[in-house]
Amino acid sequence: MLSGFELDLPDTLVGVLDLIADGRGTPAVPLAGGTSLIVDMRARRTMPNAVVWLGKIPELRGIQVTQDHVRLGPCTTVSDILNSDELAGSGVSLVRAAEAFGGQMVRNAATVAGNIACNSPASDLVPPLMALDAEVILESRSGSRTVALDRYFTGYKEDVRRTDELITGISWKRQEESSVDLFHKLARRKGDAITVVGVAVNMAVSDGTCMRARIALGAVAPTVLRAKRAESMLEGETLTPGLIEAAARQATEEASPIDDVRASATYRRHGIQVLTARLLTQAWGRLT
Amino acid sequence: MTDTIPTGKAVTRDALRQVGRPLVRTDAVGKAVGKTMYVGDHVMQGMLHARVLRSPIASARLTRLDVSKARALDRVACVLTADDLERPLIAVDIPGQTGRARLETDQQVLVRDRVRYHGEPLALIAAETVEIAEEAMRLIEFDLEPIPGVYNPEDALQPGAPIVQGTDNVVAAQKIVKGDIEKGFREADRIIENTFQTQFVEHAFLEPEVGLGWVDENNIINLRASTQVIENFRFIADAIGVPHNRVRVRASLVGGGFGGKEDVTMECYIALLVKHTGRPIRLEFTREDSLMGHGKRHPFTMTYRTGVKADGTITALEVRLIADAGAYVFLSPYVLLYAAIAAPGPYRVDNLLIDGRAVATNNMYTSAFRGFGAAQAAVAYEQQMDEIAMELGIDRIELRRRNYLRSGDTISSNYPIESAVWTEECVDRAWAALGEPTEATGHLRIGRGVAAYQQSYGRITYLHDTSQAWVGVEIDGSVTVRSGVTDIGAGQVSALGQIAAEVLGVDLDDVAIYNSDSAVTPLAGTTTATRALYMTGNAVKVAAEALRGRLIERAAKSLGVASDGIDIADGTVFAIDDPGISMPFHELVKLSAADGIHCSELAIFRAPFSDGLDPETGEGQVHPDYVFGAHAIEVAVDVETGEVSILKSVAAHDVGRAINPTAVEGQIEGGAAQGQGFALSEEMIYEEGRLITPSFSEYLIPTSMDVPKVESIILESGTGLGPFGAKGIGEPALTPVAPAIANAVTDAIGVRVKELPITPEKIVAALHAEPT
Amino acid sequence: MTSETDMTHKTLALEVNGRVVETRVPAHRTLLDALRDLGYVEVKRGCEKGDCGACAVLVDGVALDSCLTLAWTVEGCSVTTVTGLGNRTEMHPLQEAFVEHGAIQCGYCTPGLIIAAHSMLSENPSPSEADIRNGLSGNLCRCTGYTKVFDAVAKAAGAMREAGETS
Repeated sequence: MLSGFELDLPDTLVGVLDLIADGRGTPAVPLAGGTSLIVDMRARRTMPNAVVWLGKIPELRGIQVTQDHVRLGPCTTVSDILNSDELAGSGVSLVRAAEAFGGQMVRNAATVAGNIACNSPASDLVPPLMALDAEVILESRSGSRTVALDRYFTGYKEDVRRTDELITGISWKRQEESSVDLFHKLARRKGDAITVVGVAVNMAVSDGTCMRARIALGAVAPTVLRAKRAESMLEGETLTPGLIEAAARQATEEASPIDDVRASATYRRHGIQVLTARLLTQAWGRLT
Repeated sequence: MTDTIPTGKAVTRDALRQVGRPLVRTDAVGKAVGKTMYVGDHVMQGMLHARVLRSPIASARLTRLDVSKARALDRVACVLTADDLERPLIAVDIPGQTGRARLETDQQVLVRDRVRYHGEPLALIAAETVEIAEEAMRLIEFDLEPIPGVYNPEDALQPGAPIVQGTDNVVAAQKIVKGDIEKGFREADRIIENTFQTQFVEHAFLEPEVGLGWVDENNIINLRASTQVIENFRFIADAIGVPHNRVRVRASLVGGGFGGKEDVTMECYIALLVKHTGRPIRLEFTREDSLMGHGKRHPFTMTYRTGVKADGTITALEVRLIADAGAYVFLSPYVLLYAAIAAPGPYRVDNLLIDGRAVATNNMYTSAFRGFGAAQAAVAYEQQMDEIAMELGIDRIELRRRNYLRSGDTISSNYPIESAVWTEECVDRAWAALGEPTEATGHLRIGRGVAAYQQSYGRITYLHDTSQAWVGVEIDGSVTVRSGVTDIGAGQVSALGQIAAEVLGVDLDDVAIYNSDSAVTPLAGTTTATRALYMTGNAVKVAAEALRGRLIERAAKSLGVASDGIDIADGTVFAIDDPGISMPFHELVKLSAADGIHCSELAIFRAPFSDGLDPETGEGQVHPDYVFGAHAIEVAVDVETGEVSILKSVAAHDVGRAINPTAVEGQIEGGAAQGQGFALSEEMIYEEGRLITPSFSEYLIPTSMDVPKVESIILESGTGLGPFGAKGIGEPALTPVAPAIANAVTDAIGVRVKELPITPEKIVAALHAEPT
Repeated sequence: MTSETDMTHKTLALEVNGRVVETRVPAHRTLLDALRDLGYVEVKRGCEKGDCGACAVLVDGVALDSCLTLAWTVEGCSVTTVTGLGNRTEMHPLQEAFVEHGAIQCGYCTPGLIIAAHSMLSENPSPSEADIRNGLSGNLCRCTGYTKVFDAVAKAAGAMREAGETS
């Protein structure tokens, strides 16, 4: 059972920001889908005194695709992503990740901001978002700031978000025609399973040259991370199988996986190698 | 009262009207519309809520347990520790009906001094709400002083190992000797040896253990409990110190069992709290409680050494079995026996030596699980058959064909099989149904595997198993069946109704069933061991037939037709030769009742009884009979990531007679999924005895994304000992699945992972000496 | 206990299966517990952490795990449990198909499966088998192996499309 807490259900963003700042004496913890926070509270891993629910503010949920940008409201659910026609054209890797995310009920509840804020290295949405160079918009009573998702996480279960800040948006530039974004995850079973290795790749090619390469890795380090040295091996190059293999190997070296109940560090490294090479090969193949 | 000894001869009727039809089960609609009351849905005025405090470590001495703060908490009614118990122990053997001697298996109800496994209960709490009970639980202070434990059977057998049970940790040993093993090996052209391993597996029924207990107006302790075994009332009564007739257990519809609700779990805690408080007590396990609170499938290490001639004929088989019994005995001796008996599989082996031991450790205790040791043996014997075929260069199915056990042959314990053995038919049909092979593309390799099996149905014959049922007709022509049988989801109750309807010539809808009450319904024995249909189905049939005989005799008088010329169908009693001469069934019942004819019947069915096995050779009868069949699988394996997809899954089983084909298919499909989890993804992992897979996030049973659609081929030899020649399908559905998958994976990748579960990681490791 | 609303306790008006029921619950009460306390015991407790789907209910037509949903957050929404979809005499096409196809064994997962299927079909009335599988992947079933469940959902989808076309 959950232990007791105060619960507020404000219907304005300002109301939320007030409550998480100092609220009624104790800063409130934001709650959206609950698929992570409620589980942690039941296990008494976290025991907030005050909780603020975000579900009463419709404008926090939604997908906006403009000419240049895609912006997700923080309370956009994983199912919203999965069912979005617009994202199917400008964030395919994110849709793939949504498809592989939990079971239906969890997808119906879990939100994109929640998946970032829960700080799980095994997050499914973060690798594709990171590979898309997504930015996180943080708002508080004292203003707002934008942080690259790539710089959002600072360590295991640590991030740059202050407790008085709320994630109010996630956005990225729409990808040019000559780009591809892909995601694949390995897990111990196909349905509703925590990721063992997740890899997202985003690539742009022009005139037979790789102009942009992004490789984001999930569940293989204290946070989701980008394999930046591997990326730089590819940019400006014409990709060959040998170069792809080398970049994939480099990606394994940028990760720091651990042994846990789901897999060993050795298998995780192997998984990074295989998936990275596979996705890079696919991307390159489609763009050339 | 009818009293029948089985003949082993199948009774078949030319035209079955109810039996054999895919009828909608009697429990289906209530479940679909959410109106079925499960145990956890019952509440009582004034009930208290209970919680169990469990040890967080596996091997320790309890040096201090202070419950004073918990007892002092407002609205806490009762906190019990070992010091409060009149009797510290509870038996955990198979509950018998016949007073046959049971094993020495007593387990402490609550830890008094020594903790032997992670999760062993330290204290029981009853409070006005669950929240208060949980708060009280957190107020209990205790000190556990770790003591050296032992966490695998090999270590537990070493001299100087910490002793968990008995004097040497060996809680059971089983030897079977047949023929001359040395001679057999001398005759062999090749000797092939392999060691196979299985893991701890969790039943993962969806309904966690739950019960509600109270004292009734006659001072009887009543329990509604989610259990497969209402007969545990005897052990519960013994443990709380009351006569057997002072505890009543009801189970009704249970949300899944698979062997995991066979042993006593929450019932004893509830009974103790009821006895101490005098108030109704509800105890519902959380999922975490459930995963820690009942025994698991025994991990086995199985070393097979097989002597074969160049043509594939098996000349000798030596098997060494080591099972991890965990911290307490529970059903380990029986599980080991089943594994030993099944060890050769459905193959004729004249020279045999089987040597098995079940060994205590500080892991979670292990006990009954669908397949009961025989499923673990199948994982070994069917992989070994494929290894032999590969070594000899003989087709896998041809190798099997050259060695199949046939009807009349003797099994491992030198006891003959009398019923049909349709292994060959089942293997061939399942294999053929896989159809054209799927084409391999990219990183995927396609592989196929098959596994046959021998799985008992009915209990061990020297336990002298019986089952009772009562069948009666009401004067409106409706039929009542009363029997203690518990329905754990497979349609056990509905099948009984179908049998009564068949015999009495009415529709399934005309039958009402009262079941699963240890005090009121005639005891049917446990819903375990693929015995419910075999045993209780026979009891219902015997009772219904006796009743039918009396009613037809009365009809003969009214219709002026000889009684052997009368039949009953669709609620009408009629002359077979001239159906115009008839009367409604309910009229017949009225006439019979008016004449004082006894319109009900209580029957007991006895399985074949035997004495124990020869202690030296293990020779003798162990089970009433066996089921034979096969499962065939096609997989795709990604040789880079090690991911396995099951593409095709075909089962062929000789079930003797399918009382309800839809229910049989359901069992087969469910067994296929459970077998897939056993093969590929499921593993309860204990580190130094500590469970590190405490929820369904870590313990991964197959989801809708993981399983293939299963094709079932149901064969009916009609030679089973059950009603209408039925055998059984509960356990057999699972047994061949994991080895068939293992063989398919090996076929795909060319190397064998000999240790279940076959995870992507193990596949990658097997393919590369060192993953890149 | 006060009868006033504060930030830890209040009296909720919950709309369940078309009826509004009032219940006083604390802020930390899950919808699962609140519904079961009100007698909606068809909502099953399986894991209390979103792994099994036995407790799924529709909230404004969308399936959610009620164990992960706080009761307060559904005030003003329409909550539907499996008993709200149909009854013994008038079953919902999904219920009918589950019964006819033998897709029910122990039945403990059935309410959640039917709710999940309902939610999936309202988003996608003509699902492929892959869609059905993905829609049900949060509902663990240990008895059936899902084969008959897939058949039942496909059959019900057809029946619901037909009913939709004719009405």
